[in-house]
Amino acid sequence: MSDRVRPTEDRIAALFRAKAEWHRLQARAPLREKVRILLELQRQDYPLLKRHRRLEWWEEPWIIEP
Amino acid sequence: MKSDGVIEDYAIGGAMAVLFYAEPTRTYDLDVFVLLPRSEGTIVVLTPVYAWLEARGFEPRAEHVIIHGVPVQLIPAYNDLVEAAVTESRVLDYEDVSVQVTPPEHLIAIALQTGGGKRRERAFQLLETADIDRGVLVDLLSRFRIQAPWSGDE
Repeated sequence: MSDRVRPTEDRIAALFRAKAEWHRLQARAPLREKVRILLELQRQDYPLLKRHRRLEWWEEPWIIEP
Repeated sequence: MKSDGVIEDYAIGGAMAVLFYAEPTRTYDLDVFVLLPRSEGTIVVLTPVYAWLEARGFEPRAEHVIIHGVPVQLIPAYNDLVEAAVTESRVLDYEDVSVQVTPPEHLIAIALQTGGGKRRERAFQLLETADIDRGVLVDLLSRFRIQAPWSGDE
């Protein structure tokens, strides 16, 4: 068994609560902001996915404004 | 399209509908569930829908139609649950434009009914972060005989 110092259960619970809260806030972001994030995700993913497989034509990032 | 009688009704579905209720997830197309006008035959014909879109300059490409740079897939309601998703859709607003969107409870039910890891993940994502009416969801799952993955835990 490791002798590393580990965070307390309370600390871990607090971290997970904060994480869940952050996801809830993201879910409540204005729709326009969510579309902006979606477009950003598409742009970031594209070169990574392209490296691994041949992409379908419809998998290209959308050239639109949110 | 509705006023021209090409479709009876519609609702945005899939990951773009999820966007209205939960965190953004990756998607590359926009799914739209459509109710087609009733006809005599038993075969679903999308020709009038595509003709209507082409007449307005929207280019069909394989299974999609490109509408203002976005690949859109028009999916005729393929079962009672998807039909309910359209008839019970919510009218929401995007930049002052009213759009009909599949309710989050229906999105969860469709994801569970369709199955697969990605859709199951979508169902849990909605359950955890969206405002879900649990009563509506339970009723939907029972109405369409869908087994909830969490029902074994209770």
